[in-house]
This record gives sequence, C-alpha cells and structure tokens, in this order.
Amino acid sequence: MDHGSEVMHMVFGLDPQWYAGILFALTYLMIMSERINRAIVSMTAAGLMVLGGVLTQETALEGIDFNTIGLLTGMMIIVAITRQSGIFQYLAIWSAKKVKASPWGILVMLSLVTAVLSALLDNVTTVLLIAPVTLLITDSLKVKPFPYLFAEIFAANIGGTATLIGDPPNIMIGSAVGLSFNDFLFNLGPIVALLLPAMLLPVYLIWGRHLHASSAARQRVMDYNEADAITDKRLLWQSVLVLALVITGFILAHDIRQQPATIAMFGAALLLLVSSLPRSPGEQSKNLEHIFSRVEWITIFFFMGLFVIVYGVEKTGLLEMLANRVLEMTGGDTALTTVSIIWTSAIASALIDNIPFVAAMIPMIQNMTGLPGGADGLMPLWWALALGSCLGGNGSLIGASANLIVAGFAERAGHTLQFLRFMLIAFPLMLGSIAISTVYIYLRYL
Amino acid sequence: MTTTHSKGTHPTASTIMDKNPSVLHPTDKISQAVECIMKHRYRRLPVVDDDGCFMGVFGVTCLLRLVLPKAVIMDKGLESAAYIRDSLSDLHRRLKEVEDEPISLCMREEMVRVSPDTPLIETLLILYKTGASLPVVDPETGKLVGVISYFDVGENILAAEV
Repeated sequence: MDHGSEVMHMVFGLDPQWYAGILFALTYLMIMSERINRAIVSMTAAGLMVLGGVLTQETALEGIDFNTIGLLTGMMIIVAITRQSGIFQYLAIWSAKKVKASPWGILVMLSLVTAVLSALLDNVTTVLLIAPVTLLITDSLKVKPFPYLFAEIFAANIGGTATLIGDPPNIMIGSAVGLSFNDFLFNLGPIVALLLPAMLLPVYLIWGRHLHASSAARQRVMDYNEADAITDKRLLWQSVLVLALVITGFILAHDIRQQPATIAMFGAALLLLVSSLPRSPGEQSKNLEHIFSRVEWITIFFFMGLFVIVYGVEKTGLLEMLANRVLEMTGGDTALTTVSIIWTSAIASALIDNIPFVAAMIPMIQNMTGLPGGADGLMPLWWALALGSCLGGNGSLIGASANLIVAGFAERAGHTLQFLRFMLIAFPLMLGSIAISTVYIYLRYL
Repeated sequence: MTTTHSKGTHPTASTIMDKNPSVLHPTDKISQAVECIMKHRYRRLPVVDDDGCFMGVFGVTCLLRLVLPKAVIMDKGLESAAYIRDSLSDLHRRLKEVEDEPISLCMREEMVRVSPDTPLIETLLILYKTGASLPVVDPETGKLVGVISYFDVGENILAAEV
C-alpha cells in the first residue's frame, strides 16, 4: 500500500479521510435507496473523488480494474451473439423433453441447465434466457411457475459461484487477487456440486412432491420441436466453437500467460468477425449496433465509477484502518476472521447489492496482512468472501440482479413473486447453504 | 367537442375525424368486444368510461395477446416461437379462459393520441408512424371527441378541391 506517500491536494483543505469516507458512505446509501440509477450515482461520486482532490485523473484510472471490465464486456458480447442462434431455448426445451415433461423432472433439469449456464455465463444473462422458456413450459403444463422460478434463482446464484466468470464478485476477487478460472473451479466447484442437490431437497419437500400435470398438458410440452428453436445453424456452430475456445482459454490462462479480459475480448472480437463475414458492410454495422446495445452499459459504468470510489477511499488509508479494526475484533485469528467474513458477506449480500460490498471488502482483506501465512494465509478469506457474497444473493429478491430479473418476468406473466413470501423460504435456505459452506471452508482450509 | 381551427382556416385533426366512432366500455366482456371487432372487421376500437373519457383501445392485437402464450408476448420474452406446436384449439381454449373478464384487463392504455387542434400534417405524420386509427382526445377534459382512420383521411383528401 502506498497511501500516505502521495500528497493529496484537497479542495478547501478538507481532511482526505473524512472527505472520502463520507463520500463513500453517501454513495452506498444512494445505491441502496435505488432513488437514482446506480451507474449515475457511482459516476458522480467518482467525479467528486477526483474533483475533491483525493485522486488525480491518472490515479483514478489506475484504480479501475480493466481486467474485470474487459471480462464482463467480452462475455456480454459473446452471449449477445450466441443467443441469436436459439441455442439456449433449444437446451431448455431439450432438457424438459428428456424427463418426458414430468413437472418435477423439468424443475430439476431447468435448475441444472441454469446452474451450468450460470457457471459459464453471468447469472443475469442466464435467467434472461431461461425464465421465459420456463414460463412457457409452466403455462403449457398448467402448473404454478413459482417453484420453478424460485429454484432457478437459487441455481443461478449457486452455479455462478463455481467459476471465475460465473458471478461479478468472483470476477472482481479473481482479478484483484490473481486467482484463475481453475482456482475457482477446484476450490468452489465441489461445494457448489453439493449445494445444488441440497437446495433441491427442500424445494421437493415444499413444492416438488405436489407438482402434477395432466397427460394432455405434458403432451403439449412433448410436442415442442426443439430443433426449430435453432434459428441460425451456422451462427450456432460459430458461437459454440468460440465459447468453447474462450472457456479453454480461461482454463489454460495461466499456461498461456494471458489475463481473462484478453481472452474474453478476443473471443468476442473473433465471434464478431466470423459472424460478420457473410454480411455486407451496411448489415455488419447494423448488426454490430444491435450487439453492442445488448451490452449492459449500466453495469459497466457502475463498475468503473465504483472502482474509482473504492480506490480513493483505499488511498486515504481508511480501509487499512477498518481492516485492522476487524483483526483486532477477531484477535488476528484466521478461522474466526474467515467465519466472520462469510456470514457478514452473506447477510449483507442478501440485503444490498453484492458488487459494491465486494468492491469495498477486497482492499480491506488485502490489508489484513497481520494474519499468519502471508498472502497464502488470506486464501480462506477470499473463498469466504466469494461464497458469502454469491450465495448471500439468494436471501431475498433484491439480493442479486438475477433475482430481480426473474421477479420482473414473473410479474409480466401475471405471477407476482412477493418479496416476503420469497424471503420467508429463501432466507433460511440461504443461511443453510452458508452453514454448509462454513463447514466446507473449515474442513478444507482451516 | 370543438371543430374550430387554432390557426385561422388551417385544417386540423377535427377537420378529418369521424365524430361518432363506435366505442367500447372497460366493463364490456372480452367475448362481447371480440365479437364486435370480428363482426365489423375493426382493427381496434377506443375504450371510454361512462363520462366519455378516453381510457385506451381494444383491438386485434389485444386478441392476439390473449391467445398467444404470455412468455412469447411479454417484454424481453422469447425471441422465437418456432418450436411451439399449439393448435387452433389451444388458442381458442386460452381465449375461453378469459372471455368473461372485462376488457380493462387487456386493453392498451398507453396510446398515441392527438387533440382536436393538432394541425393536419402533424396528425397525418402521427397516423403514418402509428400505423392504426388515431383517437382524438380533448386535452382539457380527457374526453374522446373522434377517431381518425386511414379511410377518413383518404375520403377527405379525395373530396378536397385541387
């Protein structure tokens, strides 16, 4: 940490720690209030961090983790192109027919598809693709969609925990700490494989065993011809090939000495190139505009502003001070600190957006140098942060962006997901998953 | 209802509108409304309350919304429905399920409208962009004062002196 070594030219001679601290707190309060779009809040606060004198333009840009930004943008472009092929609808219909359209079988299969896709893509994209097909199937089966959407929310957040690219907190942690795709897969994959069936069990007991559909309704689903979901076979093969290359690139990233953002952005460029080849220049521009419009710029700009704000606070030494306070409270004990982090992250992520929470936690944990074992000694803390913040999102409807997307779909289909009804079941289930994760971390790392 | 033009003799929406259009009421049953638009081959009809205030429109697109799976027509819903094999009977069954519901359930409320004083060319441009008949609503009272269809426009243009 090099804070303190730089001279900050604060406006009106304000104290940098107070200025940055208050700006940081106000920013988070504004994000939580949801009164103003979070991207606008973070961009404004980032500007004030520079104008106030905590950062210069150069240091502010240093604070932006372009590895995270590039990885997110690259994957968004790849998915925007891939979805045009119809592959995701194909997968959902195919999986429903594989279980002969049995209502419980479909719930399990759609949960599995959601979990796997969430591990390979981001959660929001996954539910954007799977939720409408789910509503179509439940409409045909004449069953209530709530259990299906509930299970998919959990599957998305659990599946996303398994990989570097599955959930934004993992992307941020992986990028800041230098953890690879394989690190996440080997360390969090096993617990995810355990948590998924552990989540399905209560879903079965609460709803699954009561799910019934008439044979006529099941036949309607069996009559779907999934092959017709593929709208562009050429694009399908191009997308699957590039996606496979990108995933392979992530797995081999360490060996080929490349950062995930390079792999994702190059994959995006490659897919844009091959999918554009048969088009005229005019069509290419039109298609490119459409693809770029699918990139979630609100999320990207939100991230950039957030990185600047957290970097500003870090530069003033405030986060180091907070980190030391936490270590004082836990007595510098790794096990106690780890358990505190996973439970705090889980509760916080259920109630507020986990992205700003993780953005602030990363430099705090990096500052916990007083723990034994040096950088390696911090590893249990990173896994605790990843598990807590990703799984914590299951605790309430506002816990993760994916949850809100599913709730939006449900409402548009005339089946409102009620906040309290969801939380009454989801929060205890989330706590259960955190308890299992705590045992896992304790047995494996502590 | 006003038919005076705001700018001297310049024609406005009120010049070409049908002053006695057929209307539906929000409490009308879906089955009645469907029967009405099918019988007279209306693309859509304005919906007004008991005071004659404009509330929205009900038409063939509403009918399609009722018979198609919700997952297909919802915002950000399925981009393709090529693999769905619903029959005409399935569609009719969906309609039967809601036929006794009031049309307020499915009418379109967000509607482009013009005022009686909207200049003629502006009105025609809005009509061209909307692609369907335009309700003419008094901006002060909110009451429906007429409807402009492509045919009203055509008749008025052809009847005008060259």
